[in-house]
Amino acid sequence: MTDNAEIDRQIGREYEAGFITDVESETLAPGLNEDTVRFISKKKGEPEWLLEWRLKAFNAWKEMTPPNWAQVQHLDIDFQDVSYYSEPKSMEDRPQSLDEVDPELLATYEKLGIPVHEQAALAGVAVDVVFDSVSLGTTFRETLAESGVIFMPISEAVHEHPELVQKYMGTVVPQKDNYYAALNSAVFSDGSFVYIPKGVRCPMELSTYFRINEEKTGQFERTLIIADEASHVSYLEGCTAPMRDENQLHAAVVELVAHDDAEIKYSTVQNWYPGDSEGKGGIYNFVTKRAVAHTNAKVSWTQVETGSAITWKYPSCILKGDNSVGEFYSVALTNNFQEADTGTKMIHLGKNTKSTIITKGISAGKSQNSYRGLVRMGPGAKGARNYTQCDSLLIGDKCGAHTFPYIESKNPSAIVEHEATTSKVSDEQLFLCQQRGIDTEKAVSMIVNGFCKEVFKELPMEFAVEAGKLLEVSLEGSVG
Amino acid sequence: MLTIKDLKANVEDKNILKGLNLDIKPGEIHAIMGPNGAGKSTLGNVLSGREGYEVTGGTAELEGTDLLDLDPEERARLGLFLAFQYPVEIPGVSNLEFLKASVDSVRAAQGKDPLDSVSFLKLARAKCKLVNLDQSFLKRGVNEGFSGGEKKRNEIMQMMLLEPKICILDETDSGLDIDALQVVAEGVNSLRDPNRSFIIVTHYQRLLDYIVPDYVHVLADGKIVKSGGKELALELEEKGYGWLEDAAENGAA
Amino acid sequence: MTDFHNGLLAVNDEANSPLSAVTALNSSGADSFLAQEIPTRKTEAWKYTSLFNLTSNEEGYGRLAETHGAAGLDGLATIPALDAQRLVFVNGQYSKELSSNTEHKNVVRFSQADDAQKSIIADNLGSAIEQEKHVFGALNNAITTDGVLVHVGKNEQLKTNIQITHITTPQAKAFTVPARLLIVLETGAQATVVEHFASTDDEQNCFVNAITEAKVGANARLNHYRLQLIQEGSIQIGGVHIDLDRDANYDSFQLGLGAKIVRNDINVNHNVGGSHCELVGVYLPQNKQLIDFHSNIEHKVANCTTSEVFRGIMADKSKAVFNGRIHIHPDAQKTLAELSNKNLLLSNDATINTKPELEIYADDVRCAHGATIAQLDEQARFYLQSRGISAAEADVMLSFGFINELLENLELDAIRNLIRPILAQRFGRDEELMKHIG
Ligand SMILES: Nc1ncnc2c1ncn2[C@@H]1O[C@H](COP(=O)(O)OP(=O)(O)OP(=O)(O)O)[C@@H](O)[C@H]1O
Ligand SMILES: [Mg+2]
Repeated sequence: MTDNAEIDRQIGREYEAGFITDVESETLAPGLNEDTVRFISKKKGEPEWLLEWRLKAFNAWKEMTPPNWAQVQHLDIDFQDVSYYSEPKSMEDRPQSLDEVDPELLATYEKLGIPVHEQAALAGVAVDVVFDSVSLGTTFRETLAESGVIFMPISEAVHEHPELVQKYMGTVVPQKDNYYAALNSAVFSDGSFVYIPKGVRCPMELSTYFRINEEKTGQFERTLIIADEASHVSYLEGCTAPMRDENQLHAAVVELVAHDDAEIKYSTVQNWYPGDSEGKGGIYNFVTKRAVAHTNAKVSWTQVETGSAITWKYPSCILKGDNSVGEFYSVALTNNFQEADTGTKMIHLGKNTKSTIITKGISAGKSQNSYRGLVRMGPGAKGARNYTQCDSLLIGDKCGAHTFPYIESKNPSAIVEHEATTSKVSDEQLFLCQQRGIDTEKAVSMIVNGFCKEVFKELPMEFAVEAGKLLEVSLEGSVG
Repeated sequence: MLTIKDLKANVEDKNILKGLNLDIKPGEIHAIMGPNGAGKSTLGNVLSGREGYEVTGGTAELEGTDLLDLDPEERARLGLFLAFQYPVEIPGVSNLEFLKASVDSVRAAQGKDPLDSVSFLKLARAKCKLVNLDQSFLKRGVNEGFSGGEKKRNEIMQMMLLEPKICILDETDSGLDIDALQVVAEGVNSLRDPNRSFIIVTHYQRLLDYIVPDYVHVLADGKIVKSGGKELALELEEKGYGWLEDAAENGAA
Repeated sequence: MTDFHNGLLAVNDEANSPLSAVTALNSSGADSFLAQEIPTRKTEAWKYTSLFNLTSNEEGYGRLAETHGAAGLDGLATIPALDAQRLVFVNGQYSKELSSNTEHKNVVRFSQADDAQKSIIADNLGSAIEQEKHVFGALNNAITTDGVLVHVGKNEQLKTNIQITHITTPQAKAFTVPARLLIVLETGAQATVVEHFASTDDEQNCFVNAITEAKVGANARLNHYRLQLIQEGSIQIGGVHIDLDRDANYDSFQLGLGAKIVRNDINVNHNVGGSHCELVGVYLPQNKQLIDFHSNIEHKVANCTTSEVFRGIMADKSKAVFNGRIHIHPDAQKTLAELSNKNLLLSNDATINTKPELEIYADDVRCAHGATIAQLDEQARFYLQSRGISAAEADVMLSFGFINELLENLELDAIRNLIRPILAQRFGRDEELMKHIG
């Protein structure tokens, strides 16, 4: 194929977000036992019920074994070699506004091209910054409060809105749901909590940037979003991590509850450190994301996954109420030695429930990229419909693209339609572009962007730009 | 027989029929002509109850029965027949089986017993002959791999089997050779009856040489913009539709 | 190893094949079988199919059948209007009365093989099947005592069809039928083989473990029909394992009507290059039947093609499983592979689980798969309705057409004529009328 040297040069491009912020942190020594769980809970001054809740999860976790079915080959993780708690030292006198935030932290975001102030001000985005395990600042809280929207770190919500947290936490993703969800339930550090009251349309996009920073620190966010009846919210989650040699564990849990007539749109751009071109380092990303949609509710997941050495992630919808709608739009790009096993589950329980799944997998280098999904039509899913389209694009002949869709139906009136295709960036397409004066790099980027267009158009504007940029960075020159 | 009043219809939220009036008496033949995209096929689809065609106003009655509330099959059983501009292919379902199911349901609606398979086969073979289709077409899948002309003849054969009250022929003449055109015309003429009416949608005067219409209408932009006798068709052939639009605009001004 | 393992192996305790190739296979098969666990629902390949009915049967299936006569079985043994050299087995035992009464040089039972045939068996038997991956293949290797060899020499085009029929009848005690077919087509050879499994109308109590292996030589062509007809109450677990040489063609049609458990593993290996495989399958379980097709196509080399179409209709409380895996190895550039699986459920108690899988390690390939459930063509439905046919009737007609469409392309009229009335009856179509179509 064309111009291999150019390609190698570009594949070799360094991770742009690769740097480590020098902030003193208080980190718990590695290891996990009951005392670790108690320590975390105490450190956060949690109520007794939450400690019990964590311990129950921990005890379940001890009995479980890590899943081995995903199409990923991660080295055995030593869970005793992971530290389960860290926070910036300045915790005690935490900043009350962004102005009080450690300037070095803010500089970190500048380097990443995320000007928090500007973006918050210009785009009307409230940013709940999670730096390692503790939330540092939240903007626009007042504006949100006016409309009754609650948007705060879950660690604070535990104290300020215990009745809501206690009522909903673990109802969508039970503690024992799976190995990593159980782990998260036992040791979760922090995350976001959102509550949108009845009939309220959240006045702005809610956004959180996550970042892993401490050496050997596992990060265990837990996010809970509740959209009460006929409310509406769009939530953005983005992350990028500095370069690191050792593998880092990340096991998040996200729970969404969309009550009758409510709508939740959850968008993610994931750009954790993917490891170097030799496959060394990188984040292990094991995420459980799930939503329950009640009558007439709609939940839409959109994700752009370009980072992490290993990704294991299936944002799902339980379409419980009649006429509820679930959507999953995904772009997953893997390069070098990355392995991604991602997809969704659409569980149709209610009548006339609808789901749409559109995924675009792009594999380059020596990476492996799998779609794994489940569409289940329960006996009560009368008139339910699913449409699934999974497309894979291979760039180079050393990578793999795989599709594992599970389709189950117990209802004769339910309609399921699944299609998958695999292709490559063809020589002809590239040649046409070159012949018209476009260089290979640009041509590939154009073709890949076109391939992903259906998903990008689901992203909020601010994110779409970021996603396009990410894709370009992750992809540049990976064409053989 | 068929009375259409101020019919308005949308397709995918786009307004296509914009207040169409048409009154067809028993035994009459009405030709409808008009530019591409005017809404001629839409009219046929709306009358026969196709999904996705949303009626937003007006009425359509067949012998006093409101058509617009009925399922497509109920309209067919009342005697409404649409010969499609583009008949769909249904692989795996044999033409014979399909025809029998159709005839049986229409007969049942008229309180008649279903035909036994042997008599039906005889009947179907006879109709095949009339439209000049080889018997082997009965065994093949519905329209499956039929040529354009064969599909149209198959439509005419169905019309002859079902003996409807009102027949809508949507460009049944398009793409036909001279022989096939005559087959279609003979089919229609053989069915002419004081109690049966026809709507013939066509772009060409030549079909109207064989099937002489009582009225000719011009459908443009979702409405009947001009009606006349058979000589209107000749005039249209000569001048096209442009002069009508001009006339309409001038009239409106 | 469990009692269950030993029970099944007991089938071949005393039977000693005169063929050393078979006895060698028996012992390696037994070793492999004993080393494998019986799959449970936790085994990925058996996620949707429970073996409970096989493993929990109190008296076990660990015995061969008592001899059963041929009386009254003629109707089951023949496929009307099929011109074929016929070998018929009743409960696993060869029936001279029901089989063709002339010898045929291309078909022989292992036990009757001449020296040349013996060496063909020795060279090929067991070579297309990966017994470590197929526990019931290992079982068959362990318990096969006799079997059938179809051998077609270089550039020979077999004019007569070969028909292998297995009939079962109920017996006092549950029993096992080990059935083995080895097809060897030399370079440029052509053959049509019809495998046919049928039973009497009563409730059956057999476990049929039928494995077919085919070695399709360079430029050779095998047309293969495998028909599992009504066998209420029986358990059928087996499959086909096909090795394709350069430019070989494998064309197959599988029909499964379902039984207590029917599990068919279809494995095709594109081993050398330029080969083509065409798989068509239909499954129509009803009552409380279960049917499971697992196909696995290995594109190990470049320039091969696969086209696979499976359709099923599930009635009553039945359940079907379809798993269609296409595996493109790193060197299998220029592969064209496509798979389509369509399903209809007819009742509130029926279930379908389908999983089309693509595993691709080469970039210059074109692969696609599609799976649908209950997706009838809206336009076709409207066309039927516009001719007075009710929506419900239109759906039945379209469902029938959905299977019938696959029958229309069958090369052997006799097979189509065997299946279509069964289908017509399922869908309440006018059987008289059906005689006049196709
Ligand atoms: N299913 C549909 N979806 C979107 N637009 C449609 C659909 N059906 C019809 N239309 C639009 O409605 C308009 C009228 O179409 P229609 O087929 O009725 O025209 P026509 O008069 O029959 O034209 P022709 O002479 O070309 O057959 C056209 O603009 C067409 O594009
Ligand atoms: Mg038209």
